Amino acid sequence: MTGGAVDVVIVGSGAGGAPLAARLAQAGVSVVVLEAGRAFAPSDHVADELAADIYWMEERLSGGRDATAFGANNSGMGVGGSTLHWGAFCPRPDARDLQLQTLAGVGADWPIAHAELARYVEAVEGFIGVSGPVRYPWDDARRYELPPVARNAPADAMARGCAALGIAATDAPAALVSRDREQPHWGERQACINCGFCHQGCRVAAKATTDTSWLPLAIAHGAEVRAECRVVEVERDGRGRITAVVYDRRGERLRQKCAALFLCAGGVETPRLLLNWGLANASGQVGRNFMAHVATQVWGRFDADMRMNRGYPSSLISEDMMRPAGAGFAGGYLMQSLGVLPVTLAANLARGAGLWGQPLVDMLTDYNRLGGIGINGECLPSDDNLLTLSDETDTYGLRKARVDFSYGDNERAIDAHARRAMTAIWEAAGARDIVAVDRSAHTIGTCRMGTNGDEAVVDADGRSFDVENLFICDNSVFPSALAANPALTIMALSLRCADRFLANRI
Amino acid sequence: MARIFYLHALGASAAEWDGVIDTIGAEVEHVALDLSGFGGSDDARLDVAGLVDWFADRVGDHRPDSWAVVGHSMGGKIATLAAARARDGDPAFSGLAAVVLLAASPPSPEPIDEERRAEMIAWFDDGRIDADEAATFVDANTATPLPDPLRAKAIADVQRSGREAWVGWLERGSREDWAEAAGVIAVPALIVAGGEDGDLGIEAQQRLNVPHYADARVEVVAGAAHLLPYERPADVAALIRDHVRPAFASALPADFVALLASDRVSRRTRAVMTARHAAPIGKSVLTERQRDVLAALVETTLPGVCDGADLARRIDAMLASGQGDGWRLVDLPADESSWAMALDTLASDGFVDCDGEARGDALRRIAEGSGGDTGSLTAAQMRLWFAEARAEIARQWMALPATMALVGYDGFAVGGDGERKQGYRLTAADMIEPWQVQPGAVA
Repeated sequence: MTGGAVDVVIVGSGAGGAPLAARLAQAGVSVVVLEAGRAFAPSDHVADELAADIYWMEERLSGGRDATAFGANNSGMGVGGSTLHWGAFCPRPDARDLQLQTLAGVGADWPIAHAELARYVEAVEGFIGVSGPVRYPWDDARRYELPPVARNAPADAMARGCAALGIAATDAPAALVSRDREQPHWGERQACINCGFCHQGCRVAAKATTDTSWLPLAIAHGAEVRAECRVVEVERDGRGRITAVVYDRRGERLRQKCAALFLCAGGVETPRLLLNWGLANASGQVGRNFMAHVATQVWGRFDADMRMNRGYPSSLISEDMMRPAGAGFAGGYLMQSLGVLPVTLAANLARGAGLWGQPLVDMLTDYNRLGGIGINGECLPSDDNLLTLSDETDTYGLRKARVDFSYGDNERAIDAHARRAMTAIWEAAGARDIVAVDRSAHTIGTCRMGTNGDEAVVDADGRSFDVENLFICDNSVFPSALAANPALTIMALSLRCADRFLANRI
Repeated sequence: MARIFYLHALGASAAEWDGVIDTIGAEVEHVALDLSGFGGSDDARLDVAGLVDWFADRVGDHRPDSWAVVGHSMGGKIATLAAARARDGDPAFSGLAAVVLLAASPPSPEPIDEERRAEMIAWFDDGRIDADEAATFVDANTATPLPDPLRAKAIADVQRSGREAWVGWLERGSREDWAEAAGVIAVPALIVAGGEDGDLGIEAQQRLNVPHYADARVEVVAGAAHLLPYERPADVAALIRDHVRPAFASALPADFVALLASDRVSRRTRAVMTARHAAPIGKSVLTERQRDVLAALVETTLPGVCDGADLARRIDAMLASGQGDGWRLVDLPADESSWAMALDTLASDGFVDCDGEARGDALRRIAEGSGGDTGSLTAAQMRLWFAEARAEIARQWMALPATMALVGYDGFAVGGDGERKQGYRLTAADMIEPWQVQPGAVA
């Protein structure tokens, strides 16, 4: 079967694909979005960690000294992509992080000016609705549309500990609505109910996900979103331009002709497709510079009844460690309070803190008295960290991804600094039996953007240096990790990518 | 207190259970019901859905926290479909801990000889079943004639049957096909057949009822036919008691069950938790020896709080499903192989027979990367595998409803299926809402 040709096919319906689908459709471009996962209504989601079914659970191989976890840790599946399970923790990218090479002599600069990216960030925030503090201590000019969500017990503890140590902390910017809010072309998103299940799928649509925001906007302007469509091949003409994508829908092979293709499948699937296809890799950079944020957590036991599963999980933020004095590392990290649901906590304490036996039982049976604090820290691009193809294949005959990841000196220095800082905060807050959990988060890099086709896969507009009608827009194009959690920046890039595509159209 | 609900056969009444209930005694509360149109209750022609709804209301009258259902013949079809609705998250049947089927009618059409069906329907042609017809019915369904006054009582009950209920079941209820809705049910089931029964004997039970239960035990009562509670009350009572005792012993605490049944919990969440609370089901890839080692590993990883064999079966089923967590370490073989290899290594190192201290020492060496290299995996691989293994053990245990009850976790009760989900109003430390459960031990 062959669909009629469309202007643009977008592979992936998450933070990378959905905003540009909407903006292109609004400009009259014919758009088809192909999403590998199923479509959900918010009420379909389940308040159970093992039953939640919004993750990319197909096997990836993880290697290196600090092998990173995939699955529920960082990979979504379903109409909405990873925004279905993201934490909605929504700090803005720091201007200094976009110029790390210039300012610190390591990492990479972004080929986009911060001021330009910031305009798109504000446009994204305005559309999806972000709750945050009245005054943001690290940016006087910043305003948030909605009042902050309620702090939970770990947030109160972190505020207490930070205050005692003279560290600034405030209500976290969160991409969820703290009041009922009408979302154009979708309907009423209900105010956050403090249920704590952001990572399992928001059942009231308080959290910003693309299936309740950008995709309805795209569809209202004529875009088509096709669920359960797994792209497996591309077809090209004699000049190397992509002419169609071939995809599998419930065992049926289908084909969609297109004038341009946007890969927005995330930092693992996008490079995996390109490597499987042997495409767009004259630079040799596809799969290289895989980055994962240093995401160390510190846990402790309090005398109080914390019940940290209640409330928005990361309701307090501190940016004081973005460039701490005498740090001894490049870049910095954000701190956030942590409430984590029991099953995730149990696995993290067992794996990442090395607990077993009575110490593990003591912590887990005291779940209601635990509280955590964690970071999202810079990760430098490294030649040693990369995504390659395994010899094993998936059910579609595509080779599986293998990701090798090890912390370098800079990541280890951030981790060590953060452990000390968070332990001090937790001691000041009154926590006992403090333990740290090794953890990394997010899938970044692997198709970096740059100014030179010898060193980068795509240009600043997301266009492949090798294939003129191939674009990439997701976290794989990030030249450096940025300390900020990536989704907001991905959405901003997505809007910019759409504008650049429209501006460059012949 | 735990309750047993009893659903009688066609033409019987709540009184058919008298002998069974006397034998089991007061360790549980007994609720023997008269189905509509029987035992002198108001006559009604209910289809199967109507019968199950009626039973839901009767369960609701008692609001039990933990309960079992015993269904005899016609009552068995109702029992199975109630269990299926419990599985699907129907709050009306929340807290079901065990099912007992006696010579039970299956969810699919009941195998009845058509001539016999027509004859039984014809008994009402003159307005009521007469004594001879009732006696024929009772005698035909027992291996040897019941002693009086039991036989007379049974005959009188048949005669008391309402026309609508009697004919409705024979013409419609027994013929309705609910096999698909019944599906496969996780709650432990005891399926009992009479050795001398006809259409609903052991062959029919194996073929039509057993496939609907993932955890079914089958018993045959020799020398009895279809009217088992009349024919062998003591044997039937012992079977019921032995089946429900362990199920009630592992039941969730009353306040937890009540919260799970409340409108704060979605149907999907309730169904998932109901299934998980039942005994683990699914395929197996580990050998018995490997499972025994795994059980010992579980008990060393989480000492004193869990059933090692139960968790080992759950992890075995997870491995057999091939559904991992979305990734695996390059340095380890595929999940199923690495678990098997590592457990074989522990087995040959005598892990099962060690005392707790020696087990702890062995695991400490593995965690340090200096032990467990006597088998197919290197010490470095054993270290990586143990990190995975303890995380999986911790996950599986923490996800059990019984563990949630133990630690006082109520996060599953944050929103039902209404337009507005409830969530939490209070999020600060040391403040809880009236509906929240207090930490406590499993009942």
